[in-house]
Amino acid sequence: MTPAGVLVGTAIGIVLLMWVVTLIWHDRLYVGYGVIFVFGTVVAMAVLIVPRLLRLVTAASAALLPVPALSLVALVILVFLMVYVFTQITILSNRVMRLTQELAIRNASPQTTVEQHAVDPRIQNSEF
Amino acid sequence: MPVQPQSRRRSLVAIPAYNEAATIRDVVTRVRAYLSDCDLLVVNDGSFDDTAARLVGTDVIVAGHLCNLGYGRAIQTAVHYAERAGYDRLITLDADGQHDPAQVRALLAEFDSGRWDVLIGSRYAVTRRYGGVPLGRRLGMQLFSILVGMMAGRRIYDTTSGLRVIARQAFGPLTEWHFIDFHAEALVYLMRLGYRVGEFPITVEERRHGQSMYSMASLFKYPSKTFLMVLLGVVQAKLTERRRRGR
Repeated sequence: MTPAGVLVGTAIGIVLLMWVVTLIWHDRLYVGYGVIFVFGTVVAMAVLIVPRLLRLVTAASAALLPVPALSLVALVILVFLMVYVFTQITILSNRVMRLTQELAIRNASPQTTVEQHAVDPRIQNSEF
Repeated sequence: MPVQPQSRRRSLVAIPAYNEAATIRDVVTRVRAYLSDCDLLVVNDGSFDDTAARLVGTDVIVAGHLCNLGYGRAIQTAVHYAERAGYDRLITLDADGQHDPAQVRALLAEFDSGRWDVLIGSRYAVTRRYGGVPLGRRLGMQLFSILVGMMAGRRIYDTTSGLRVIARQAFGPLTEWHFIDFHAEALVYLMRLGYRVGEFPITVEERRHGQSMYSMASLFKYPSKTFLMVLLGVVQAKLTERRRRGR
């Protein structure tokens, strides 16, 4: 990869990192999703910056040359799009969470003889 | 919206419960026996076993999540409830029966000395060693204890303890900032804001029923999430402090 390519790749990585961390900070991206992006970006940047790593990854992926430029652009767009989608999921999830907490607090009552039902297992979440 | 307190008592014991049908009734009975001067709240975190049914007739206050939100959110619900209902202190303990309510009395006596805003019932405050703990968890506990020491200037040896007493003045920061499980990330945030967090030695019983909330996957995801939130919490605490001084 050319020095210009490494520079552009690193710049994209830094922008992505800053965006992801800011989103986590403002509770707009669930930290469980966020760490995947942070980890992935840091690894990708390390591969870009260290020539030996880049050669190793290229060889390991059984490619003779690094991916064509268009594939790289597509990959970058895809990653940014994924962060956006996960942000929307987090925002929606936070709203549901607050609603659930608010309902629980407002409906909190002493258990005398009121029959309580278990939650249907089908509406359980699967936390990352 | 303020919540009508269930009594004139000033302390609330909160027990987050997720599928704890096997132990919840016994835990509630023991808390009632040893802490009769406290109100008791069970946050039923979307259990799909008989946890809710086991609480019928116990007269405890139950706040039921319609779906499972996780331990941290269940604690947050309890903090919100305590804040709105005007309680002076919140005592949290686990629903699996590992915490002995009889030991809470000593914990409360220390808390009432006025030296602490948050007091943690600690399994390792005396020994400062994690003997008998599985290797993965032991490494995690050491890592987070050291991390808290580095970030907040004072080591906390049991960052994951579920037995805590929280003073009213700490309710605000615990509901304003977002946490994962109210462990190291919450402790560092509070300590950086100047709240006094301490440990008091306790012993815990072996878990007899159910499963720990930490699985094999937690070995990787829990440290990475908590580490990131600790770092963000430090920055947030600094900004909050600056904003306070600016007022």
